[in-house]
Amino acid sequence: MAVVVLLPSLLATEAGGRNRFEVEASTTGGALRELPIRGLLFDEQDELRPLVNVYVDGVDVRNRGGLDEKLNDGAEIRVVAAIAGGLPRSSSGS
Amino acid sequence: MIILAGTRKGLFILESDEGRRDWQVEGPLVPGWEIYHAILDPRDDVLYACSNTFAYGANVHRSRDRGQTWEHAEQLGLPENGELKLEKTWHVEPGRDSDLWLGGAPGVLFRSGDGGVEWELVTGLFDHSSRERWQPGGGGMCCHSIQISPDGAIYAGISAAGAFRSEDDGETWTPVNKGTAADFAPDDPFPEVGQCVHKLLVHPEVPSRLWQQNHCGVYRSDDRGDNWERLEANGLPSGFGFPLALHPRDPDVAYVVPEVGAENRVTSDGRLGVYKTTDGGASWGLAANGLPDPAWLAVMREGLAFDRLDPAGVYLGTQSGSVFVSPDEGGEWITAADNLPPILSIEVGEWQS
Repeated sequence: MAVVVLLPSLLATEAGGRNRFEVEASTTGGALRELPIRGLLFDEQDELRPLVNVYVDGVDVRNRGGLDEKLNDGAEIRVVAAIAGGLPRSSSGS
Repeated sequence: MIILAGTRKGLFILESDEGRRDWQVEGPLVPGWEIYHAILDPRDDVLYACSNTFAYGANVHRSRDRGQTWEHAEQLGLPENGELKLEKTWHVEPGRDSDLWLGGAPGVLFRSGDGGVEWELVTGLFDHSSRERWQPGGGGMCCHSIQISPDGAIYAGISAAGAFRSEDDGETWTPVNKGTAADFAPDDPFPEVGQCVHKLLVHPEVPSRLWQQNHCGVYRSDDRGDNWERLEANGLPSGFGFPLALHPRDPDVAYVVPEVGAENRVTSDGRLGVYKTTDGGASWGLAANGLPDPAWLAVMREGLAFDRLDPAGVYLGTQSGSVFVSPDEGGEWITAADNLPPILSIEVGEWQS
């Protein structure tokens, strides 16, 4: 089924300037894996990076069925960077 | 001549003629990414940047149009069935032929043969028998120094694993830490591995001569890293520091920026002091004419660079966002840029076309 994925600005830049994608997918994870920036969302063990939040129709997927939850046709998936950052967790050597 | 200044908020390019006195600043490029290190590959004018974000992981960006557009790597990571994940990318280095090398955390090295699109893990270092004795330093367990020696060897420096040398193009790696101290481990102050290398360089024309700024002193080796001599207490205010620069032709010249110590990481004596030796480290003198004084600053491990011109230029970037250039081998310094974001790395290069 067709769903919409919305990306924040940094990811849109990495996706060639597009912040909106329409993809065919039955699950949230499947939709995200269709994107050209999937490697920025998922790590090498195919786990969603911990500071990437994903909302489906306005609800955080970690509070509903997770990435394997079945999507409704026309669902809107929004990717948001978590409230974090600022000072790094570790310094760069000085 | 260009300076690539990697910062916490993207990459800046500073451009000047060979006089190296007037610099134009362009940037930020790759905005939103922390640029731990960036290079201009002299073989094909491609820019590479070790790029990290808090949300989207560690990567390497590349640009084939002088920084106008960038692409990230399509394949970069540790084995999917392992316990470790790639934490940061730290240093990218041109290799032989078309090779590129990439260092990262946790103590890992990658190699690319396709211009940085896909990166292959160097398993000889990843599976090294001594890995269980490595530990992360303050910046993580970072592979920050990669040196492709003219004599065929490859060197890697990892904090805090030590220095390693490969004689077989990266297949196997031998620790080369004899004589370098681990003062932070009084129960074993000279271990085979586990030293906290901060920066390691091979002299570009005398490959038997290596220099090292370590957590525990400044060192020189005259036998390809087999043995190291500690060089402090002869004019340096401290053996602790991070960055290191050499002279492109004279193997007896080196530059360091001492900090007070491991527990107080700020430039020594309340000034931004670059110290230079011209006798292989037997003595050191202040080479800070034009640098801020008083000042309490910090220069990261990639924060010094040198060019190949005559006289050789030396380049310095601070965590407080200033770039200083000495066009005369440390005789005087001019301010090339101020008020940039915190600078993580400085490299220099020249467009070939």
